[in-house]
Amino acid sequence: MPPHLLSRPLPDAIKTELERLFLDKVIANLGLCVSVYDIRSIEGGSIHPGEGCSTYKVSFRLLMFKPFNGEVLVGRIIGYDDKGLQVSLDFFSDISIPGHLMQFGTVRGPDGRWMLKTEDGDELYLDLDDEIRFLVSSTKYPPIPIDQKEDDPPFAPMQIVGSIKGDGLGLLAWWAADEEEGRRRQSKSNSIVLL
Amino acid sequence: MKIQKANAGILTNFEVLDFLRTRGAKVDPMGCLGLLLHQSVYEYLLKTPACNQTRESIYEFVKRSEGFMLAEADKLNVINWRPSSAADAYAMIEECGKRFSRDYRGEACDEDKRVQEFLDMVKEVLPPPPPKAEAEAMQE
Repeated sequence: MPPHLLSRPLPDAIKTELERLFLDKVIANLGLCVSVYDIRSIEGGSIHPGEGCSTYKVSFRLLMFKPFNGEVLVGRIIGYDDKGLQVSLDFFSDISIPGHLMQFGTVRGPDGRWMLKTEDGDELYLDLDDEIRFLVSSTKYPPIPIDQKEDDPPFAPMQIVGSIKGDGLGLLAWWAADEEEGRRRQSKSNSIVLL
Repeated sequence: MKIQKANAGILTNFEVLDFLRTRGAKVDPMGCLGLLLHQSVYEYLLKTPACNQTRESIYEFVKRSEGFMLAEADKLNVINWRPSSAADAYAMIEECGKRFSRDYRGEACDEDKRVQEFLDMVKEVLPPPPPKAEAEAMQE
C-alpha cells in the first residue's frame, strides 16, 4: 500500500490498489478482470524495513469475464481474413471464428467477405458491423512472446475461439423472423426465413 | 498472490449488470465518467435481455425450469439471451433435441411440443428485451 493512499479509509485504499493491479488485465486461465467484487478480509499493516509502504494480506474476490465452453455470446463482426471472422464484444475484441467452425457451406466470396450459400441459392454475406450470435468453442491464453517484430499484430493474452456451426447461430438477422412483436427484419442481402 | 479458489461461482449477465449499477455505472453519452472498462461492459450488457430483468423473474425461471432437466450452463444461456424461437433454443441448450424428447416424468414425448412449452414458459417468465431503437429501423 503506497504511502500516498494511506490517508484514505483502508478498504477504499486497498480496493483502489487492487483495481490498479487487476482491472482490465488478463490472468492466465482465469479470464479478464472486470471488477473487484468484494474484499473479504484484511490482515497485517506491517511496514518492512527500507520501505515506505505498509503491507497487508488481503482476501478478495474478482469479477472475471471468462465465458465457458458452450456459452452463447452476441457480438459484432469487426474484421475478416482468410482464416475467418474477427468479432468484438465492445469491451473485448480478441474473438475469432475460424472457417471450419462456420455453418456448413460458408465460403469466402470474391471480395473477401465470408458468405453462406443456402439450399435455396441465397447468398448470405457476413458483413462488418453485423450482429452475430456464436458459441464459445475454446479460450486460449498464449504465453507472452519474447520478441515481437514491427508489423506483428498486437499480442492478445486471451483469445476466444467461437463457432457458428449449428441451429440458431450466425447473424441475428438470419433467425429473427416473425417474432412476437410482429416485425420482420431485413438482413443485409436478403429477407429470409430459416427453419 | 495465491489463488484460493479459481471459480467461486458463475454470475448471469443480470447479476453483473446489477453489480455495475451499484458501482455507479450509468449511461454516459459524454464518454468520460467512470472506469472505462466498467463503462464498456455496462453498455454492452444494456444491449442484452439482461437490461430489464429482475431478480424475481430469474428465480421464477429457475423454479419453473425444474421439470425440463436443463444443465446449469443451459439455464445461464437461456437467462442471458431469452430464446424466443425453436432455433434460439437449439443454439442455447446443449443436445436440445435429446433433452426435450423426455418430459419431466421421464416418459418419451414430442420434442417440438416440449420445446414450444419451454419457450412459452420463457416468454411468460422473463421480460422481453425492449424493442431496438427506431434508429435501427431507419438504417434499413
